[in-house]
Amino acid sequence: MAMPHFTVHQPKTLEQALDLLSRHRSGVKLLAGGTDLLMKMRQAGLKAEHLVSLNRVEGLRTISYRDEDGLVIGGAARLADVGRHPGVAQHYPALAHACSVMATPQIRNMGTVAGNLVNAAPSADTAAPLLAYGASLVAVERGGRRQIKLQDFFRGPGLSVLEPLEIVEAIRVPAPPARCGSAYERLSARSQVDIAAVGVAGLLNLDLEGRVLRCRLALGAVAPTPVRCLEAEQMLEGQAPDEALLMRAGASCVRSCQPIDDVRASAAFRRAMVQVLAQRVLKRCLALAQGGAS
Amino acid sequence: MKNPRIIGQSIPRLDAPDKATGRAIYTDDIKLPGMLYGKLLRSPLAHARIKRIDVAKARALPGVKDVIIGADTPQVKYGNWRLVPGSQDELPLAVDKVRFVGDEVAAVAALDPETAERACALIEVEYEELPAIFTVEEAIAEGAPLIHDESPGNVSLVRKIAYGDLDQMFAQAHYVREDTFKVHAVQHAYLEPCACVAQAEEGSRVTLWTSTQVPYIVQCLLASTLGLPENNVRVMKVAVGGGFGGKMELRPWEFCAAFLALRTGRPLKFTLTRSDELAFGRRRHPMSIYSKVAFSKEGKLLAKDFQVLLDGGAYNAMGPTATYLCGTFGNMLYNFPAYRYLGQHVYTNKPPASAMRGFGAPQAAFAAETQMNLAAQELGLDPIDLRLINAMQTGDEIPEVATISSCGFKESLTKVRQISGWDLKRKDKKPGRGLGIGCFSFISGGVFNWFNTKYNFSAAEVKVFEDGTAQLACMACDIGQGPDTVLRQILSAELGVSIEKIRLISMDTAATPKADLGTWGSRVTLMNGNAVIQAAGKIKDMLAPVLFSQFDLNQIHDLAFEDDKVFVRANPKRSMSLAECVYKALKGRRGEPLTARGYYTPRNKGLVSPAFSFGAQVAEVEVDADTGLTKVVKMYTAHDCGVPINKMSVEGQLEGAVQMGLGYTLMENLILDQQGRTLNTTFLDYKMPTAQDMPPGESVDVDTYEPEGPFGAKEAGEGLAIPTAPAIAHAVYEACGYRCKELPITPEKVLRALGKIK
Ligand SMILES: Cc1cc2nc3c(=O)[nH]c(=O)nc-3n(C[C@H](O)[C@H](O)[C@H](O)COP(=O)(O)OP(=O)(O)OC[C@H]3O[C@@H](n4cnc5c(N)ncnc54)[C@H](O)[C@@H]3O)c2cc1C
Repeated sequence: MAMPHFTVHQPKTLEQALDLLSRHRSGVKLLAGGTDLLMKMRQAGLKAEHLVSLNRVEGLRTISYRDEDGLVIGGAARLADVGRHPGVAQHYPALAHACSVMATPQIRNMGTVAGNLVNAAPSADTAAPLLAYGASLVAVERGGRRQIKLQDFFRGPGLSVLEPLEIVEAIRVPAPPARCGSAYERLSARSQVDIAAVGVAGLLNLDLEGRVLRCRLALGAVAPTPVRCLEAEQMLEGQAPDEALLMRAGASCVRSCQPIDDVRASAAFRRAMVQVLAQRVLKRCLALAQGGAS
Repeated sequence: MKNPRIIGQSIPRLDAPDKATGRAIYTDDIKLPGMLYGKLLRSPLAHARIKRIDVAKARALPGVKDVIIGADTPQVKYGNWRLVPGSQDELPLAVDKVRFVGDEVAAVAALDPETAERACALIEVEYEELPAIFTVEEAIAEGAPLIHDESPGNVSLVRKIAYGDLDQMFAQAHYVREDTFKVHAVQHAYLEPCACVAQAEEGSRVTLWTSTQVPYIVQCLLASTLGLPENNVRVMKVAVGGGFGGKMELRPWEFCAAFLALRTGRPLKFTLTRSDELAFGRRRHPMSIYSKVAFSKEGKLLAKDFQVLLDGGAYNAMGPTATYLCGTFGNMLYNFPAYRYLGQHVYTNKPPASAMRGFGAPQAAFAAETQMNLAAQELGLDPIDLRLINAMQTGDEIPEVATISSCGFKESLTKVRQISGWDLKRKDKKPGRGLGIGCFSFISGGVFNWFNTKYNFSAAEVKVFEDGTAQLACMACDIGQGPDTVLRQILSAELGVSIEKIRLISMDTAATPKADLGTWGSRVTLMNGNAVIQAAGKIKDMLAPVLFSQFDLNQIHDLAFEDDKVFVRANPKRSMSLAECVYKALKGRRGEPLTARGYYTPRNKGLVSPAFSFGAQVAEVEVDADTGLTKVVKMYTAHDCGVPINKMSVEGQLEGAVQMGLGYTLMENLILDQQGRTLNTTFLDYKMPTAQDMPPGESVDVDTYEPEGPFGAKEAGEGLAIPTAPAIAHAVYEACGYRCKELPITPEKVLRALGKIK
C-alpha cells in the first residue's frame, strides 16, 4: 500500500507538542521511534496528516534512577538506552532483559518504551516486566497531568485509556525493595528475531524469614492485553517458597491466560509455555531474591 | 592435473563493493523519461469463472493511461516446456477462469503507482465461484473439480522410471520398510522482489529490463506471447538481488509491461512488493511421498519404490522438471539393483510452485535420507556405515541416467564423520543433544532440452585488444551467485590475461552470443565455463602464429599464456606481452578484430546432467524438552564440487545453503487459510533465519577432478541446500526421540510427540 503524505513537526518543548496536538486535533499522531506507527500507516491504512515528533522535546529521552524515587523513563527514551542503563540493569533485570532481546538491534535503537506501551499490542515486551514492577504512566495534556497505573492502562488489543491529546511524559517505576528478585522470559516459536509468542515476567520479594512478602507475575501475548496472574500471586504471598509451591503457582498461571490460535503459535502451545516459562521465572526470581547469583 | 594459479583462489566477488555500498543499479532503480507505473489486479478467489469485467471506472480515473484485461491480449499460452506444447498452460492475464488467489486478471498503467493502485480497485469483476482444491489428495480423488479442462484427474504430467526386478528384490530382501513423508511450501525470499521496465521502439520493438535469471527464455516467450518475432524483443538485466529458481520463467508483469509499453508508447515499470511475493509468488513444491526400500542382511540396498505427488498449484511453471528430477534424485546417491519411480504433477488452487534451489531434491532427499536413518537404526548399523556400504563411486552408473565421472561421496562421508566427532559424540550421548546426518548429490546443469532451444546451451564471445585487455560477452546470468567473477577467472586462467583487465558484457539478448539457457540447475560454471574455454582457445590459435614467426619456432613447440604474457613453454625467455602479441596479430590480420566464440552443449551425457556433485552433512542440535525448541549447535559439511574455481564463492554458497536449509526445516512455512489466502505475507510472520539464528559451521572440500568441467569444476550451488533438513531431523530424533516425517519441525510437533501437549 502506498504511504500517504504527511507533515512532521519537531517541537522542542512539551508545551509546543501539546499545542500542535490541539491545533491539528484530528488527523494528528504522536511520533516516537515510529516503528509501530509507520507500519500502521504503510500497511494498515492508518491516516495521519500531521505527525508530532517527540524526539527533539527537551528532556524527554532521559532515564534516571534514584533509590528514593525509583526509575523514571522519559516518554521518548529508546529501548536500547533503557536496556543498557546501569540503574535498570542493576535494579530491574526483567525490564533490562526485555529491552535488550526484543525486536532487532535496529528497532531497539529507534523504538521507545512509551511507544511500546501506548501501541498496546498484547505481545508488547516491556509491558509484562513493567506490570510486575508496578509501573505507572505520567500523562499530560493541556489541562494538566495525571498518573495512570499500568495495571489499569490497557483496554484491549491496540487500546488503552490514554486520551488522543495526551502525551506520556514519563513512566515511573518504584524502587524494588530489599530481598527482591525479578526476571523475564520470552519465547518465540521460531527465529530469534521475532515477536514473542509468550512472555512471562515475575517478581518475588521475601521477608526476613524468607517467606514471600509480595509476588507479581504478568503475562504477555496470551490474552487481549498483558495480564497479571492474581491466582499465582496469592498462592505464593505469605508462603515459604519451596520448589513444589513454585511449580504449582507457575502451573496456575495457565488459568490467567486466554491465548488464541494464530500463525505464530497454537493456543495449546501458548498455554503449555505459560506454565514452563512461569516456573522458570519463579525459580530465577527466588534465586535472585535469596541473594543467589544468576 | 595442475591448474593455473587463479583457479581455486578466494577472489572477492567483483560486484561486491558496488552492491555493499548501494551503488549497484537494480531494475527498480531504472527511471525513464515519461515512464508510467503498472499495477496488477489479482483474483481474490481461489477458483472462479470470470463472468464480466468492467474497466470503465478505472479508465476514467485521472492519471490512468491504459487498462488491459485478458481479452485485449493475443492470448497465447506460454510455459517453459516448449518441447511439450500441451504443458504450456499459462496466460499472462486470465481469460475465462482464475485458478488461485492472486491469479492476474487485469493491469493498469498510470502516472504514478498510487493512481494505478486506486484504478485497480475500481475495476469491477464478477465471478462465479467454483469449488476449490487445496491438497493433492483431494485433487486426484474421484469426482474432484477440474482445474484445467485439459488435465483429467488434475494430473498434468506423469514421470515413470523403472529398472531391475522390483518384486523379486522385495521378496528376497532381509528387511523391507515403507514410509510416507510430507513436505511443505517455502519461498525463495530473494531480497529483490520482481521488477521490470519495458520500453517500446519503432512501434513493434520492445526492450525489457527485468530481474530474471533466464533472459533468453524471457525473450523467446515474451515474443511468442506478444506475437512478435524473437528479434523484436530485447531482454536485459541489471543487478539481480537473488533468484534461487523463482525468476526463471516469463511472468505476467513482464508481458504486461511490454504490452502496455507498446500500446501507450511510453516506458512502463512494474515492481512487486514483498507481500505480493509471499502471497502470490512461486515457491518450492509441497509433496506427498511414499517410499518403500529393501535391504539385504548386510545392509545392501536392493530395491526402492518411490512414489511422489507434487503439489504444483494452479499452473505447471517449472513443475514438470521437478517431477522428472525428483525421480532421479530418489536414486542418485546409492546403488539400487531395482528402482521404480512414479511422479505425478498435480494441480491445486494455490499459487504455483516452481523451481527452487534443489529442484525437487530437497524434498526427495528429506524422504530418502530420513528413511536411510530409520533403516540404519532397524538394521543395527551406524547410519554412516550404512551409507558407505551403498554409496556411489566414480565409474558407477545411475541406470538410464549417466555414468558418474567423478565422485567424492565416500570421502565426504569419512571426512564429515571425522570433523563432527561423530563416533565419540554418539558414544557419550548428552541428554537433549543429538547428531544427525543427511547427504546429497546434485546435477551440474541439465541435459534434457525441455525449452527446445535451437542454439547451444551456452555461448561466450572473447575479444582481445592491443592494450592487453580482453572482453568477455555472454548471456550467463549473475543473480548473486557469482559467475561474473568466476567466468572471468576461467578466462584469465585460460588466456593468461589478468582478471582486472577483463571487461564483462552480459545479460543482453541483443548483444551477447546466442544463447544461454540461464541460471538454474547449477549449470553456469560448468556450461558457460566450457564455452569460455573454447572461445579462449580459438583466440590463442589466432595469436600463436605471431610467436611462431617472431621466434622462428619449431612445430613441436607449445606456447604458454600466463601473467599477461605469451611465451614458449620450453623456453620462457622467448616471450612477448599479450598486448604486443595482439598488436602484431592485428597488423597481420590487416585490422580484422580478434574475436572468437565458444559454445557448449552436453553431448553423449545421458539425459540428466554431464556431472554430479556429492556431499554429506552432519547437524548437531539441542532440543529443549520443555519448550520443544530446537537449537542447531553446529553444522559440519564435507562435499565434492570437483575443483572449486573460487573458494570464497563456494563458502558463500554453503553458508547460504545452511541458512535456507535451516529455514526449510525449522521455521519457514507459507500458511494458507481455508479459502486459499496466504496468512503470513510479511517477514514478521514468514520466518526466515536471520544472521542471529545462524549456527557456526565447519567444512571440508573433498577434491576430485571432473573431466567434463572447466578446470575440473562441477556444481556447488544447489546441492548444498539438500542435506540440511534430513540431517537436522535425524539430530532432533537423536536428541529427544521425535522422528519428523512431515516438515517443518516446530516446537509444537516436538512437544506433541513427547506427549507434553495435545
Ligand atoms: C521488525 C519489528 C520487530 C518488532 N519486534 C518487537 C518485539 O519483539 N517486541 C515488541 O514488543 N515490539 C516489537 N515491535 C514493535 C515496536 O518496535 C515496539 O512496540 C516499539 O517499542 C514501539 O515504539 P516506537 O517508539 O517506535 O513507537 P511509535 O511507532 O513511534 O508509536 C507507537 C504508538 O504510540 C504512540 N506514542 C508514542 N510515544 C508516545 C508518547 N510518549 N505519548 C503518547 N503516545 C505515544 C504513537 O502515537 C503511536 O500510536 C517490532 C516492530 C518491528 C517493526
